[in-house]
Amino acid sequence: MSAPAQELVPADVHEHVLAEAERIKAWGEAAERFSRDEVNQPTINNWLEAMGLDNPRFSAGEAPPSMAQVWTMYGLGGKPSDQDPLHSMMRVLTDAGFTAVLGTNCDQSYDRYLQVGERLRVTTALDSVVGPKATGMGVGYFVTSRNTWYVEHEDGSSEQVATMLFRVLKFVPRKKDS
Amino acid sequence: MNVGEKLPEWSLPITPTLVVSTAIATRDFQDVHHDRDIAQAAGSKDIFVNILTSTALCERYVTDWAGPDVQIKGIAIRLGAPAYPYDTFTFTGEVTEVVDGEATIKVVGSVSLGDHVIGTVRVAS
Repeated sequence: MSAPAQELVPADVHEHVLAEAERIKAWGEAAERFSRDEVNQPTINNWLEAMGLDNPRFSAGEAPPSMAQVWTMYGLGGKPSDQDPLHSMMRVLTDAGFTAVLGTNCDQSYDRYLQVGERLRVTTALDSVVGPKATGMGVGYFVTSRNTWYVEHEDGSSEQVATMLFRVLKFVPRKKDS
Repeated sequence: MNVGEKLPEWSLPITPTLVVSTAIATRDFQDVHHDRDIAQAAGSKDIFVNILTSTALCERYVTDWAGPDVQIKGIAIRLGAPAYPYDTFTFTGEVTEVVDGEATIKVVGSVSLGDHVIGTVRVAS
């Protein structure tokens, strides 16, 4: 059996973290935004060259599936809005002393491959906050967010094209033994 | 694709150019993926491969084996040891399940420090 939460973090801190998690989860799919650019061949080509992937499909109108996330990256200088559920939860934990972050899991599903010319919309939801856990890195909480990507159609319908569960550990770094 | 079928091992040298070019190609401008001084100040040995690239290399590994027509349904990865320049990726893989027209391939990408990425890639079989 794992140690009770209050042995790892003070009870009031733990209650605050869980209460904030519930508040932010209730936002549902939030912080909606559109990709800066449409799915486009030059960006696909840069990715293919960097990854060393050679596939004629990706010069004939389709985009590599794991690029789904690339289209809505913030880019140089962009940053998440105050209403972004993942970053809001990270801020809560940073303010509570869990200052360090480490990506632990990324689970992407592709409904279909994207086509050059499509523009993506993405939403972010807070899926879960689990902890506190004593890990090899230190004591922290696992924060899981869910992104959903959509393509809008001319008839007004919205088609889900990809989803991602992304988990990070927000933790208090262990003091290094000198 | 049959359960138990193994993918040929694949080695990829991790150069600074690989780390930086893949980070930028995935539009990930976090400084720890391109600025060694900042990465070291933050406690890392060096710049390191970003998560989008760990996923992308799983896509490449499975595509190189299965062929260009493979239809990838999903990639789920768990992250472990960091991938620093001057190390080498060694990818291994095996088909672990074939059910209802979908195959699951377990992929492990290891570096000298241990497993960097443990993933499952789902493809139409």
